[in-house]
Amino acid sequence: MCAIPVSAPLKFIILCALTLSIAVPAVADKVKLDPSNWGHDAGSACVSCHTKASSGLAQQWQDSAHAAAGVNCMDCHRAERADVDAIEHEGQVIATIVSPKDCGRCHTKEFEEQQGSVHAEAYSIIEERVPALAHNVGGAAMQAASCDQCHGSRVKVRGDGTLDPATWPNSGIGRINPDGSKGSCSSCHGRHRFSKAQAREPEACVRCHSGPDSPDKEIFEASKHGMVYAAHRDEMNLEATEWVAGRDYTAAPTCVTCHMGAAGKLPSTHDVGLRNVWSLNTPVSKRQLLVIFEDGRKMELPSDQPAPRRGTEMARADGTIGIVKAVATPERRRQAMSLVCVECHGKGFTESFMRQFDAVVELYNTKFGEPARTIIAGLYERGLLTPTAFDEPIEFTYWELWHDEGARGRHGASMMSPNHAWWEGMYLVGRNFYARFLPEARAAAGEHADELVEAVLRANGQHEWLDQPDQMSTILGFAPQEAE
Amino acid sequence: MGRLLAPLFITRHVLIALVVGGVGGVLFMTFLLEFDHYTSSNAFCTTCHSMTYADETYRQTVHYDSASGVRASCGDCHVSEGVFAATWDHAVGSKDLFKQLFGPDYDDPVINALHLPEAAFAARKWFQARDSATCMRCHTLEAIQGKRADTAAIHREETDGKSCIDCHYNLVHRKVPDESTFKREAWNRMVEEEFGLEPGTAERLMSAH
Repeated sequence: MCAIPVSAPLKFIILCALTLSIAVPAVADKVKLDPSNWGHDAGSACVSCHTKASSGLAQQWQDSAHAAAGVNCMDCHRAERADVDAIEHEGQVIATIVSPKDCGRCHTKEFEEQQGSVHAEAYSIIEERVPALAHNVGGAAMQAASCDQCHGSRVKVRGDGTLDPATWPNSGIGRINPDGSKGSCSSCHGRHRFSKAQAREPEACVRCHSGPDSPDKEIFEASKHGMVYAAHRDEMNLEATEWVAGRDYTAAPTCVTCHMGAAGKLPSTHDVGLRNVWSLNTPVSKRQLLVIFEDGRKMELPSDQPAPRRGTEMARADGTIGIVKAVATPERRRQAMSLVCVECHGKGFTESFMRQFDAVVELYNTKFGEPARTIIAGLYERGLLTPTAFDEPIEFTYWELWHDEGARGRHGASMMSPNHAWWEGMYLVGRNFYARFLPEARAAAGEHADELVEAVLRANGQHEWLDQPDQMSTILGFAPQEAE
Repeated sequence: MGRLLAPLFITRHVLIALVVGGVGGVLFMTFLLEFDHYTSSNAFCTTCHSMTYADETYRQTVHYDSASGVRASCGDCHVSEGVFAATWDHAVGSKDLFKQLFGPDYDDPVINALHLPEAAFAARKWFQARDSATCMRCHTLEAIQGKRADTAAIHREETDGKSCIDCHYNLVHRKVPDESTFKREAWNRMVEEEFGLEPGTAERLMSAH
């Protein structure tokens, strides 16, 4: 097989096909470690005292699968003296933060899938850009209280061993931990019970997937999926050890079902973005390649760029260099997502739905996202806007166009909330574009308005209705004849 | 009954020596008591500017400012009970005075902060060696109730083989990690950041003496 030259993406497809064809039971991986690896001697002393000192926490642990399996406080919180965040506590060397790397001592598969996922990179991706919005428009205090709560923080350990309150407490999904690992398992798996059922609920995602840019909770609830979930929640079999859609439950899907869960022969994954074709929270959506590096980390890459070949060195979001191991194409990722759909829907239904969704993204891109970007870029290029972000009203307008209503519309279409696709989404995109963005752009462009604004609209070809000012409609409550 | 006669060796000289020695002894003991008392006071300790940094943090704690008006002075915690032990502690402690006069400039807040961890480790060892005896001048384990639920239970059931200082370090003065996990470099960087100094300044200052 090695003698045949095969491209990296093709190899990946073959690899995936092989993985699927082996028909591994699609369940969360059982811990393979021998139980002799846990049950630390000092654990009982922790429990004895903490049952008194913080009984809620201790009780949650008592009710957990960890306690049932004999995994105690020290098994997760133990640390080496040399660890950056190691502290002495009642005669033991421990760390307050249990990082994904720590969890990965037992939950190896989940750790490896999670590292490098879009979740794990959530802080690295925005670290450079955050101050321009959170610090300038808000204030530094906002970062710890808001942005970092979801994206994670770069946890700073001070010289006296304490965790800097500007960076911790934090359980953001892309937290940079003192041990260098990224993410926080407790972002979704509530401490200290770590209940499977809790993590499978849509509420596990709500803390962050809500608000103007990704109201996924509201979208899910407003969709048919959310409707049947609400009605049949008691049939979801949430406590089951194995949770394969179509086999262990059929009542409704949750966020986990489609984005992470096992379905039929599709294995579960802790790489939550693996099955996503599009980037939906960018000024212009791109179909994405998933680059998988030799060290297990991953990176999203727009598919309009040539796919990197196996062995290529690439710079990553955090500045490190990775060697490309394999690349998953958008088509392959769509195929994985569709495998979930077909557990309950027909193939034709699934494909046609995907077409409806893609059409909305493409409409947003070509009619609003791309022209707005071109117009703003022209204004910056000519020095008609200052380079500082958010010091001119149009920068807020543009930001909201793609980051708020633009993202809402695209998310709404991806998960079937008609309200979010239109009224909370594309309707507001249109209103923003025509009633705020264009007037502000024309004002900023001044005498260059024709060249920097109108020419872009003319070349676009989707805004010609603006040139027909006499098309009165009953939509505003006036019959066409009344105008005559 | 015959007259009660003083033994023959009680001569006048002996008598004078006994009186002088007795009075001298009383005076000497009184001096030691007064000396220990005075040198255990907050006012005496903070005559050295270097000790005012320890004073600042102490004033923020309940050991200085308690609702009942009980106040633990420097000496209440850091000088043993009993005139001989107290005198010994002061004699040993005089090395601090020596270092204050001839050692690094502890009056400088940066130097002070850089050298603080070693001082903290030594103080903790001192408490450990005495089984936290000075804590127990005021605190009685069996009487600890606490404000939180279960504080009493924890002190009764979870303290076997433990001394107060094992858990209650970093109680009054600036937080310093336990020696087992202390990282000098991280401490130096923290002090530099705190005083707005160039990285590496700490090492330079430390090696200057």
